[in-house]
Amino acid sequence: MTMLTGEQYRESIRDGRAAYIDGKRVDDVTRHRLLAVSVDWVAGTYDRFHSEAPDARNPMYLLPRTAAELEEQMGFLISADFTAATTAGCVSLREILPELHTVRAEYAQRLEAFLDRCTAGDLRIASAAEDGGVGEAGRVRVVEQRPDGVVLRGAKRHVLGASVVHELLVVPAGAIAAKHPDEAIACAVPPNASGLKIVNITTAPRAEDDRHYPISREFSVPDCYLLFEDVFVPTERVFLNGETAFAGRLVDTLGVWERARSAAEMADRAELVLGLAQTIAEMNGVEKLEHIRNKLSMIAVWASMCRAGWQHALAKARTTPAGTVRPDESAVYATKAYGGERYNDMLSYLHDICGGLVLTVPSAADYDNQATHRYMEKYLRTMDGVTGEARMKVFHLVRDMSADQYGGWKKVTEQMIGGGLIAQRMNALDHYPLDEVKARARAAAGIVDGK
Amino acid sequence: MPMMTGEQYKASLRDGRLTFIDGDQVTDPASHPLLKTAVDVAARVYDSFYDAGPDAFNPIYLVPKSLEEYRDRAERLSKGITDMTLGTTGVSLLALTSAAAKLGQLNPAYRDRIYAYVDYCRENDLRCAEVITDAKGHRKKRPNKQSDPDFYVHVVDRNAEGVFITGAKMHISAASIEHELVIMPTKAMYPGEEDYAIACAVPVNARGVSIIDMTYAPRSEDVRHYPVSGKVNCPEGFVIFDNVFVPYERVFLDGEVQHAATLAHSLGLWERAAGLGDAGAAADREVGMAALLAEANGVADDPRIKDQLAQLVVYATMCRAAGEAAMVNATRTEDGNMLPSPLFVSALKYFKSEFRAKLLDIQHDIAGDQLVNAPTVGDFEHPELHDGLKEAFAAPGFTAEDRLRLFHYVRDTTADAYGGWAFVTGQLAGGGQHAQRIVTMRQYDLERAKALARRAVGIGEFRKSGEENWKPL
Repeated sequence: MTMLTGEQYRESIRDGRAAYIDGKRVDDVTRHRLLAVSVDWVAGTYDRFHSEAPDARNPMYLLPRTAAELEEQMGFLISADFTAATTAGCVSLREILPELHTVRAEYAQRLEAFLDRCTAGDLRIASAAEDGGVGEAGRVRVVEQRPDGVVLRGAKRHVLGASVVHELLVVPAGAIAAKHPDEAIACAVPPNASGLKIVNITTAPRAEDDRHYPISREFSVPDCYLLFEDVFVPTERVFLNGETAFAGRLVDTLGVWERARSAAEMADRAELVLGLAQTIAEMNGVEKLEHIRNKLSMIAVWASMCRAGWQHALAKARTTPAGTVRPDESAVYATKAYGGERYNDMLSYLHDICGGLVLTVPSAADYDNQATHRYMEKYLRTMDGVTGEARMKVFHLVRDMSADQYGGWKKVTEQMIGGGLIAQRMNALDHYPLDEVKARARAAAGIVDGK
Repeated sequence: MPMMTGEQYKASLRDGRLTFIDGDQVTDPASHPLLKTAVDVAARVYDSFYDAGPDAFNPIYLVPKSLEEYRDRAERLSKGITDMTLGTTGVSLLALTSAAAKLGQLNPAYRDRIYAYVDYCRENDLRCAEVITDAKGHRKKRPNKQSDPDFYVHVVDRNAEGVFITGAKMHISAASIEHELVIMPTKAMYPGEEDYAIACAVPVNARGVSIIDMTYAPRSEDVRHYPVSGKVNCPEGFVIFDNVFVPYERVFLDGEVQHAATLAHSLGLWERAAGLGDAGAAADREVGMAALLAEANGVADDPRIKDQLAQLVVYATMCRAAGEAAMVNATRTEDGNMLPSPLFVSALKYFKSEFRAKLLDIQHDIAGDQLVNAPTVGDFEHPELHDGLKEAFAAPGFTAEDRLRLFHYVRDTTADAYGGWAFVTGQLAGGGQHAQRIVTMRQYDLERAKALARRAVGIGEFRKSGEENWKPL
């Protein structure tokens, strides 16, 4: 099979999937005004990498074998649409095929066949891990074992891109107690499976004129809640069924790549925050004021540390038994914990330097309106070489990314990757090579053989 | 004149004012989809205070002379409901009256005009906007050294009856749905900048005034997903003055540069002091929100969550303490008008802003991603989804609907358009953190603190006092 074009991708997801948004059923996600934003984003990546060559493959299906390939892969995932990242995460499950083989050979064979089919068909996969609720009804479980498959009931939440991909990879949210084998289920479900309902939340702008939202008008992904109401999954799509001891391994592996992408993006985002703060300071003519330089310097330290953390994760990358190169977990967690804990403070500095126009600068439509255009250009410019339009664009960008719907969603979503700020910090500790540092401490203290 | 009803208020906005939003001119704010909610809320505020008596008036126009009168005013205000228009009216007029004595020393007419203007607003039950922040151009250059002289509002002409002003003012909350614009210089002015030392009041529908609105009002068809901002919101105005005539009886400062900053300082104080009496209760609500989120997610007994809640409790307690200290340490102007303590007002504002980022992180950490991806009310009501969501989204002690409402509330107020607006304005209203540090430093008795230090060390005037200086202070 060859790679899909953007248009072929659009056609491929018009398959009768039961998607909902704002309390309404969506017949065709590619034509829904809000969901089309995400579809267009994904289609754009398809077109960007399309090749007619028979063996051509999108880079998201490649598993990095060297540190350089890992860095290149992460760069690609940050620049591509979000479903490329979720697909790459699912493809990385190839790493644990040998382990899965020891649980049951058929599981590994089926998972490998599934991933091969997605790779050959240029298909997008979303991972469905988080439970839909706190109680049993909120957890996906097997309610019937049939000779030809299983029947699922329950819910999954925070499934990014579920309504705009080709496959949903369902895995347990974490370790499962031995008394709940029905919850130790991993399988692949197509979004148009009978009994599956996909509820969408999206940051795509609802304004008629979306130019006021320069990021979210292009880079919004539906954050989906899945209801499984007796969904049948044929045996060939089941990769784990009752083996509780292995339940946590799948999400652990998926999480490695999700956290890595998040840490890499944190480094990029920190540099964007610094760039915006410095730009607006210069546009306002205050870049040399001491208290402004103080704030800029704090953002610069933060951006440097985020970049250093990610580069450290790459530098200490290790090769798994499957031959894949993974970034260092402790450094990834540390980058996320540090970057996340300081994120709101850094936004405060950015907002402080920008001032209230972040919120109150009028829209692009007002700028175009003849009655108001001259006033906006006149009063938003600050000096020769700084136009009102340029400042307006900076304020729109800062607001959209940090003080509006998309900014709020992005902040919370990134904060929760890796379990939240406290969990990230604890995990950084748990993954740290403590034996090495204890040995150093003992040597420094002159302790030999415990004396 | 008697007080206005909500309907009379709505009708009063149809006065030929020139306002714009999203590239279109607004013919009637009361019926514009993005402004209607704000107008409806303001109308409800009018109705909540309405009294048909000929001498009745809204307590917002009272100028307290003592802490008792301030509390009495707050008590009377609590009998009705409040919104941005009522808040800006109170702050604008208290800023004027707090500065009246000083401005009266320059020209007794200024003082008389201020009190006459407050009477006029009270008698006509008018709402006033705080109009202060100029376009500013190049921030390091003085107003009269800019590449465009209009970057700061200034007098461009005058005649026997009044002055003509030109310029623009930014971030003017509720400007397009109020009646009056109370204009003040944004900062101190110096000799040579007399034209920029102008304070005055202008009706919103004055010839030459244009307002371009921005709003965080939800643009969704079904605003129930926005339990706070769907019910209460307010436009921010970009207000342009293009050769606007202001009669002298509405001019409160006209060229006296030495007092250009007096009004800004008064306004800043009252703006920062807004919500002072509610500071403890507001912080308690944030603690409660985090505690409820923990229970709704079944993690209330997690020691790490308890530790986070403890941090919020310390925050709430300090907010309450500083709010009370600002009142207990209130002072008076020469006119006898009461002023909350600028030291504690600024310290509280700084502390709240400084901790806000942490507070949000804690709430978000406890809430998890459901905060931003919980299905909408419309989804919950959809017959094909209702039963499934009702079952899956419930938690012990919480129905699915309870949990959805909780997540929607916290999302709307902390992680959506309104949450972003609240985060930024919480920092910048009344001056950013740098300004709060400057004000706090200016108000703090540093000499007393240094004397305490000298005594502890036993130097300076305490050098010969002997060992007793080492006693704990």
